[in-house]
Amino acid sequence: MKEKSFFKTKEGGLTIAFLAIVAAFAMIMTGLYFSNDILLAAAMLLVTAAMLYSPVKVYIFDRRRKNKE
Amino acid sequence: MFMWIMAFLPIVVLLVLMMKFKWGATEAAPVGLMITIFTGMTLFKADVQLIASESAKGIWNAMIILLIVWTAILMYQVGDEAKAFQVIRNGMRKLLPNELLLVLAMGWVFESFLQGITGFGVPVAVGAPLLIGIGVKPIWAVIIPLFGQSWGNTFGTLGAAWDSLAMSANLVSGTEEYLTTAIWTAAFIWFWNAVSGFAVCWFYAKGKGLKKGFAAVMILSLIQGGGELVLSSINTTIACFVPSCISLVVILLLGKMKMYKEKWSIEESPIMERGFFEESHAQEPDDMTLLQAFVPYILLSLLTLVVLTVKPINEFLSRISFGFAFLETRTGLGHVNPASECFSPLTLFTHASMFLFVSAVIGLLYYKKHGWIKSGGAKRAFIKSVTMTMPSGIAVIGLVIMSKIMDGTGQTVVLANGIANVLGKFYVILAPFVGLLGTFMTGSNMSSNILFGGFQVTTAQLLDVNVSAVLGAQSAGGAIGSAVSPSKIILGTTTANILGSEGEVLRKIIAITAPVTIAIGAVLFVLVCI
Repeated sequence: MKEKSFFKTKEGGLTIAFLAIVAAFAMIMTGLYFSNDILLAAAMLLVTAAMLYSPVKVYIFDRRRKNKE
Repeated sequence: MFMWIMAFLPIVVLLVLMMKFKWGATEAAPVGLMITIFTGMTLFKADVQLIASESAKGIWNAMIILLIVWTAILMYQVGDEAKAFQVIRNGMRKLLPNELLLVLAMGWVFESFLQGITGFGVPVAVGAPLLIGIGVKPIWAVIIPLFGQSWGNTFGTLGAAWDSLAMSANLVSGTEEYLTTAIWTAAFIWFWNAVSGFAVCWFYAKGKGLKKGFAAVMILSLIQGGGELVLSSINTTIACFVPSCISLVVILLLGKMKMYKEKWSIEESPIMERGFFEESHAQEPDDMTLLQAFVPYILLSLLTLVVLTVKPINEFLSRISFGFAFLETRTGLGHVNPASECFSPLTLFTHASMFLFVSAVIGLLYYKKHGWIKSGGAKRAFIKSVTMTMPSGIAVIGLVIMSKIMDGTGQTVVLANGIANVLGKFYVILAPFVGLLGTFMTGSNMSSNILFGGFQVTTAQLLDVNVSAVLGAQSAGGAIGSAVSPSKIILGTTTANILGSEGEVLRKIIAITAPVTIAIGAVLFVLVCI
């Protein structure tokens, strides 16, 4: 059986989510420094998306795929 | 009342998802966080600047915690590559032929020692793989260290949480109020310390375990809890560390006593993996001694002890620290978060993660020199440590941001005030529960004391009850809370390789922590209100 690449596994996905949060942190610090609310809002959206990766994958996408099978 | 319910909602959702629906913390924490952000912005009138600022603080704090997780896992992977855990298991079995005493040594006493000096979840992250190494089932290998380390959370880490309680309650060192509070705190913690020891015996073999372990737990608890009580009125910095070190020596001496020196185990113990022992026996390296297997842990203890207790070294290494500046933020309801020039600075060279990292790397070089780590083993240990850290990273970040936003938007204060206003003097029963709640949310007894220390003083004065006793219950509750805090649990489930089982761990622990916390509250009520 062909082995899945790391970034297609859950651990890989969470690593990407983690890196997205690190990027969001840098965006927030920049946004706070320049008092830029748009940058802050974008950073918060990025944090939200990264945080929701795991519950959405486990309880929506994986369940849907299981039901189809 | 509506605001109180909404402030409590994220915690309720987190508990229900983890305990009832058995969600892992990686999945449940983001849901709790989303609710916190929503209530913070809509009901508590926080703007995007405040939410982003608190989130950044949360991410920064979580990164510091994750440094510990990564280095603790690295240390475990180094030992695993060298097959040191097989040597530790077999060697400790010879040294402590009584299996219950062995579990108490590796799951309660060793964690107490680590908590006395390092803390920050290190005992859980390090203890879980050690227990698996002696044949404990992974789920119990997480639960037992959580109990083992919890009593040391107030006076452990060289008294960091105690100092924060004193600071937030304006207790001046050396005053009568300071000493009385320390004694109340240590007395409540002693009770919890004994319960923790007996809980381990109960897990091992119910009544038979309690009977066999009774003498050992009584002696060890007298040293740990009793020793802490005595030392708390002399020097709060070493009140946990010194008794923990003594108990480490005493448990080895107990193994030589008539009642514990014979081989003893309960075959059907629900916490032990019986097939495991025979299965991995053949893998043990022949020429590695028990002392050599423990090299990274001995190094960790020595390094931590020297850096944290030798003042000139500590002062020199503490010079390099960095953190971020944050401006003042304010909600529409008037809750103010003061500006900070250097928020939560990371003093890298005196941080627990540095001790773990240095010990792991020196351990790796030592094992490699003796040929116990084969070619490619070092690279494998580093890669595995990173891939194991990532999944818990999201949960830790989510939980810490959640607590920061709850605190920064004023939800935490509303929560605590609501409890006190509704209950009147009966609030005293729930005083330790407030401390527990603080640690549950933040993962730290120190943060719980900072969050609720001042609030407990104000409430106790309003209700005209003994302030020192209420503060003692606060910090004892905070210490107990470190056993149920999801961000601590996840450190154990990560190193035990059972990520996603946090709900199951929480359910088993809360069955003991909740009644004990209420019992401490009830005793407090009887002593100060009747």
